[in-house]
Amino acid sequence: MFDFLKQYYPVFVEGTAQTIIISIIGILIGILLGLIFVMMRLSKVRVFSYIARVYIAIVRGTPAMIQVMLIYYTLSKVLEVPQIQFLGSGLDRVIPGSIALGINSGAYTAEIFRSGIISIPNGQTEAGLSLGLSDRTTMFSIILPQAVRNILPALGNEFISLVKESSVLFYIGVQEVTAQALGVGGTLYDFVPPLIVAALIYFVLTFILSQLMQLLEKKMGRKYLQSN
Amino acid sequence: MSAEQNIIEVDDLKKAFGENVVLKDISFSVKKSEKVVLIGPSGSGKSTLLRCLNRLEDDYEGKVLFEGENVNGASKEKLCLLRQKMGMVFQQFNLFPHKTVLENITFSPIKLKVASSAEATEHAHELLEQVGLSEKAEAYPQSLSGGQQQRVAIARALAMNPEVMLFDEPTSALDPEMVGDVLDVMERLAKNGMTMIIVTHEMSFAQNIADKVLFMNDGMIADSGTAKHIFKETDNARTRSFLSKVM
Ligand SMILES: Nc1ncnc2c1ncn2[C@@H]1O[C@H](COP(=O)(O)OP(=O)(O)OP(=O)(O)O)[C@@H](O)[C@H]1O
Ligand SMILES: [Mg+2]
Repeated sequence: MFDFLKQYYPVFVEGTAQTIIISIIGILIGILLGLIFVMMRLSKVRVFSYIARVYIAIVRGTPAMIQVMLIYYTLSKVLEVPQIQFLGSGLDRVIPGSIALGINSGAYTAEIFRSGIISIPNGQTEAGLSLGLSDRTTMFSIILPQAVRNILPALGNEFISLVKESSVLFYIGVQEVTAQALGVGGTLYDFVPPLIVAALIYFVLTFILSQLMQLLEKKMGRKYLQSN
Repeated sequence: MSAEQNIIEVDDLKKAFGENVVLKDISFSVKKSEKVVLIGPSGSGKSTLLRCLNRLEDDYEGKVLFEGENVNGASKEKLCLLRQKMGMVFQQFNLFPHKTVLENITFSPIKLKVASSAEATEHAHELLEQVGLSEKAEAYPQSLSGGQQQRVAIARALAMNPEVMLFDEPTSALDPEMVGDVLDVMERLAKNGMTMIIVTHEMSFAQNIADKVLFMNDGMIADSGTAKHIFKETDNARTRSFLSKVM
């Protein structure tokens, strides 16, 4: 049933690499946007808070597929990306595609950060400020490290769903692993075996990712969360 | 007495939360090395008053001067500098749980560049010795008792070499057997000449340490004077009724 792999495995390797790369870029942009938008969301300046709310509401309330297409078609008009081939797809698709993944993930990440930040007692902020630390230092050195520790499981879930959802880039022609599987299915006139291979690849990727997150959780938790 | 000697001056301070006026026309001053104790019933505004001094409570009317500088009107940068000189100790300790005891103490002096890393570490060890916790430098706060955490919190505030220490019910969250250790540390601090403003329900401690006692009631300083005056001599009915309940 899986004999086709002998011939087609390089295609799957290429697709897997592409999936990993767009996921990593998406996660990084998502974290960055999440941080920016959570600061805006919690800001006392009304306009900032409002912009952040609107962004989060739009991203959460619309299909990822439409977001990706809209961002791709908009960006491809304003962004001059050379037509370089990269792992079977044009960079002019890979770059806007990963940015779109990041923009989507940023909204969820911002909400996760927010839940972590508001879970830290106000006394921590007050202790920092009373020592003469600035708002910024208090946020980045006192509050965020504790918040991140608390939200690691939720962040892990978000990263895992991003890896899986990165398959939406198929719609804009990025040859990630789902696209490659469908391509192979087309030539074989049988979609089931290549799709099973793709599913297994996603499973392995997300499994590894969740193990890494658990490792990080243990490492950060060991320091201070046990009671003695 | 010239105004120069007053390290803190509060003039006509008013603070409201929405419709709820919590502080009304508060005026008092604190001289260098003076120990001022705030007492009064729950909700009378003691914490709010203390927190107005370093502007953890914002948006109040009136004047708060620290070493002659206007706290209320200070820019963000200036406010940080003023806060460095006013150490604060909270009822709930508020140690940073993700940092060791030593890091809790050295973090702000290093970050704010008032000391090099080596100086701050040396100073921290001295402070830990003063509060009797030398062996806990590498421990995390969660592994300490409440009394130990509060002593670390005092050391952390002292690490900035403050001119004034503000205490908001430092022993109220402690088991009774821990209270003594914390009060001992505060007494030693007082003997060394630290200027202190203390909110407390420990009346015998208050009586011992206070140069001046402010009795707060309903957002006002209802009575004030020496410890002897407040605890022994006053004919203010509210003060007497409050003291008869807590002593
Ligand atoms: N952040 C806040 N928002 C709204 N009201 C507040 C806030 N903080 C305090 N108050 C109100 O201000 C009043 C004074 O509170 P404060 O905490 O200063 O009293 P306190 O004298 O310290 O009492 P306690 O002995 O219980 O600590 C109370 O009525 C309280 O409900
Ligand atoms: Mg209080």
